[in-house]
Amino acid sequence: MSTTSVELPARRLREQPPRRAVAARWRRRLVGWAFVAPAVALFLLMGAYTIASGFLLSFAKWNGFTPSWRWVGLGNYADLLYADPSLAADLRRAVGNTAQIMVAVPLLTVAVSLPLAVMLNSITRLRAVLRSVYFLPYVTSGIAVYYAWRYVLAPDGAINLLLGSLGLGSLRQPQGFLGNPDTALPTLIVILVWSSVPVATLLYLSGLQAIDRGIVEAAHIDGAGSWHVMRRIIWPLLRPMTVAIALLGVRDALHGFQIFLIMTNGGPGGHTDVLGLMAYRLAFMKGLAPSLGHASALGWLLFAGAVLLTLANARLLRRVQ
Amino acid sequence: MRRFAYAGLIAYALISVYPFLWMVTGAFKTRTEILEGNLLPREPTLDTLIATWSRLHFLDYFLNSLKVTAMTVIGVLVVYSLASYAFAVLDFPGRRFLYWFFVALLFVPGITVLLPVVILEKNLGLLGGHLGLVLPFVNGTAPLTVLLLTNSYSSIPRELREAARSDGAGEARIFWSVYLPLARPAHITVAVLTAVPTWNEYVLTRVSLSDRSLFTLPLGLESLISGDVPSYNEVMAASLIIVLPVIALFLLLQRYFINGLTGAIKG
Repeated sequence: MSTTSVELPARRLREQPPRRAVAARWRRRLVGWAFVAPAVALFLLMGAYTIASGFLLSFAKWNGFTPSWRWVGLGNYADLLYADPSLAADLRRAVGNTAQIMVAVPLLTVAVSLPLAVMLNSITRLRAVLRSVYFLPYVTSGIAVYYAWRYVLAPDGAINLLLGSLGLGSLRQPQGFLGNPDTALPTLIVILVWSSVPVATLLYLSGLQAIDRGIVEAAHIDGAGSWHVMRRIIWPLLRPMTVAIALLGVRDALHGFQIFLIMTNGGPGGHTDVLGLMAYRLAFMKGLAPSLGHASALGWLLFAGAVLLTLANARLLRRVQ
Repeated sequence: MRRFAYAGLIAYALISVYPFLWMVTGAFKTRTEILEGNLLPREPTLDTLIATWSRLHFLDYFLNSLKVTAMTVIGVLVVYSLASYAFAVLDFPGRRFLYWFFVALLFVPGITVLLPVVILEKNLGLLGGHLGLVLPFVNGTAPLTVLLLTNSYSSIPRELREAARSDGAGEARIFWSVYLPLARPAHITVAVLTAVPTWNEYVLTRVSLSDRSLFTLPLGLESLISGDVPSYNEVMAASLIIVLPVIALFLLLQRYFINGLTGAIKG
């Protein structure tokens, strides 16, 4: 009896601080969860549910109206990759176009924006003004600018007139640059480059401004020419920017299809069809045909492609370094 | 060498503004003059802009766009400033997982979730209204916003937080009176990087809205061209109405755009 009465307060002393600590820890947890709750709730509604139902739908056939789905396992994926001749042919064509864009747009963007950034970095007057002007294509990117391009690229549009007055009449496109199957995709690639040059130039410019002037001057004193300095010193130091531009290019090529939807809708004759646009068509343009499963399956193939290419690209570009 | 640089830079500046030149001048041409090939209108007229603004209902579209954009920006700032505060300074289980999870959503292509979002909203009765646009827009900005705001809150010295705590401030108070004011530049960056794409959004809007009175500017513009013969002077006037507010916003808040873009890519 006496021992317990002595021990009890002692035990209480030992136990109480932990108990208070447990309460405090739970309080901290609850506060943390409360702060993330709105974001998580929105994600559960708009993200988790839609991602999960979209994933399930990729294993089913449905036209959006009938009450139930018909499960087909991997059938949709098989249709897209080989089983359905017309879908598989469409997919191959869209993969080909998407791949061209994914390679050409980043390469041309780097080829345009690096010299621009170097030149911008070499001047003092007008630098701020020019930088703002270069940014216009980025901030306005969207349907309004695409319509302006459509207008100047039309058969009787400004570009054809310009070529005529420059004596380059042979380059004119009587059907319009977007109407000729041979020029439509290259034209869209040029416009995509035009839209992605601003961010790339900005990145290169910030990279150039971070380079220690002393290094460049020292190389010049050691007798290195401008080209040598560019190739051996500046280009390697700008590698992180180049990696970022390449990764953005891959992402845009796989995710973006708005410009294709607005400017050509994949035409003429599918020459500018890309994967995102194909998925969009399967999802929204097929009326009562049960193509929603195909659309979902294609969406997931795109997701897998984006992840794999990003990982491969990041790895490859790091190794080259 | 310098002269060469200026020549190259000015040449590219012309390429940058080329379609805008035709957009601006086209908006001041009449229906007949737009069919001729000259850049500058011989007799500039305001009638086209006025007609587009009123008769073609661009005032309504403008107000709808403003409403959707404002709701999206406010939603993004409220939801993700709270979450980012938790990711940056609070300590709770699941913090790192949730943070990386939100950032990793950057890999999910919009088209992959577009169809399920439309199906879900149809079932919830949200499809066709402005709220049905705002909710997915807010959710769609999560990766970039969480990245930018968490970085910004993490760079605020911890001592400020400890000092506020020893003065008896709770987390809500610290968040409101210490972090929100100090991270103001990051909030402006997030606001402009959200506002511009929302203002220009076309794909989800197009498959969601069918009631003309709810149309946003991009859909209004599209309706001009889906008719039989588009009059390009009206199309260019409408395009100008869409582009001008964005350009004004950019010129005013250029610094924030640039910080945001370099910050997002380096992060």
